[in-house]
Amino acid sequence: MKQLSVFVENRAGSLMSVTTAINEARVNIRAVASFDTPDFAIMRLVVDEPEAAKDYLTSKGFVVRIQNIIGVELEDKQGNLNHMLAVIAEKGINVNYIYSFVIRNGLAPVMVFHAEDYEETVRLLKEAGLKIVDEL
Amino acid sequence: MIWAKEETLPREELEKIQLTRLKETAAYIYEKVAPYRAKMDEAGVKPEDIQSLDDLKKLPFTYKADFRDNYPMGLFAVDKKELVRFHASSGTTGKPTLVGYTRNDLEMWLNNVARIACMGGATADDVVQISFGYGTFTGALGLHGGLEKVGASVIPMSSGNTNKQIMFLQDMGVTLLVATPSYALHLGEEIRRRGLDPQKDLKVRIGLFGGEGMTEPMRDEMHRVWGDSFFCTQNYGMSELCGPGVAGECEALQGMHINEDWFIPEIIDPKTGEVLPSGERGELVITCLGKEAIPLIRYRTGDMTRLFYEPCSCGRTTCRMENLSGRADDMLVVRGVNVFPTQIEEVLLKIEEIGPHYEILVERKNRLDVMTITVELVDDRLLDSYTKLSALEQKIKAGLKSQLGLATQIKLVAPNSLQRFEGKAKRVTDLRKDGL
Repeated sequence: MKQLSVFVENRAGSLMSVTTAINEARVNIRAVASFDTPDFAIMRLVVDEPEAAKDYLTSKGFVVRIQNIIGVELEDKQGNLNHMLAVIAEKGINVNYIYSFVIRNGLAPVMVFHAEDYEETVRLLKEAGLKIVDEL
Repeated sequence: MIWAKEETLPREELEKIQLTRLKETAAYIYEKVAPYRAKMDEAGVKPEDIQSLDDLKKLPFTYKADFRDNYPMGLFAVDKKELVRFHASSGTTGKPTLVGYTRNDLEMWLNNVARIACMGGATADDVVQISFGYGTFTGALGLHGGLEKVGASVIPMSSGNTNKQIMFLQDMGVTLLVATPSYALHLGEEIRRRGLDPQKDLKVRIGLFGGEGMTEPMRDEMHRVWGDSFFCTQNYGMSELCGPGVAGECEALQGMHINEDWFIPEIIDPKTGEVLPSGERGELVITCLGKEAIPLIRYRTGDMTRLFYEPCSCGRTTCRMENLSGRADDMLVVRGVNVFPTQIEEVLLKIEEIGPHYEILVERKNRLDVMTITVELVDDRLLDSYTKLSALEQKIKAGLKSQLGLATQIKLVAPNSLQRFEGKAKRVTDLRKDGL
């Protein structure tokens, strides 16, 4: 799954300036995450057309990165997230960040995360029978 | 107390000394320093053309850039084995401004500092805390040596570590503080914050301040913080000229007396280079007399000031320079350290992850200078993780620290968010008002 990372300064309206541009590019946002930092933030988004969104944002002067991240569909059931993380942790792989989107028109929730070793993590998760989603 | 009889000579006698030494210096520099000889040849002036003090203006200027162009030792007139000391200060680019001293130079320098210390009221009974940073800068070791000549007891404290500073002030019964005026204010306020009253609980009675100018509002603040009976003066110098010891305020506080038997001052129009009539404000140009390691003629200090030649109520007859009123160039003084925007630019341009545009903001927080440099992030690869972004911040800070010797704040912003300039860029904002 592809993720957009956008550099934003920590001030009023900066997140909105990104969503406005994505809206102008007629791209749909599926998930978003941004964490509490003093001066600047990396806004992370999953969108339906990452390349188109990056091109448009770049033309508007944003610094944008497209990265592979892992999306795992998890049934809304106690212990499922814990199980998924255990599969990765057992092999000593570090998860750098994780976020989720829950509402998917009745479909199961998806956890989105970035781990140190992308290939190995995907293999482990598949081996453990977890459902990887590439597109949303 | 007046340290040397040369400080009180009638003007004709002083000028006689100046002329003798100027002739010697012109002959010496022409013989020993090839880059300056080339300048004199180009200007068509020979040492024997200097027959009066007025002939000084025939001689070419020396610029800070000459130190860079002839780095490391092209301006030296003596062999390395004659030298007993090196010092270095900021250059306009990566290479520092390197200076050296023979044994005679050191002796002359520290005697001049002793004069300045006496002007400010220092005596052999004083216990001195030097809160300038030691190292290659001339300030700390200059005042250190000069005050030892006076006979005072010197504590080489260096800068920073406020708790230790205060402990020594208390336990050693320090009577005289050497610092930048802004650090002295900071230190005084920290003392009060600890519930101490400097006037009652400490013995500090004199401040000898330098490294940056002290405005009158700063002096007023100094009395509020350190007490009404605290007496503080500022002094002037720069490493190219020797270090501190060029000029200092006496008890009359009517400008800084220049040690004219060793330094001939001129005031020029920085644009045309013309010498301005007495009393007018312009760039201070100094000719050093009697210096062996690096003789220096008509050095462009970049500092704007005025000179007064009327004898002073303190008994000295040497001329006085007014408190500095800015710079002829874009040099900044941050925490007593000279900073040229070109030095910062040189560091930033080597870092690929950021764009070529930058802004420098200098402000004073809690009495201390804070310099914030804003740069534009251009490399999207850093968005993989915060770790990479903060590693970039650290890399910029480390580069600037090694270039400037100063800690800086870095602010990363999105591309194209800094203002673009068509003509001369205005990249520096200095929010300090009256040094407060």
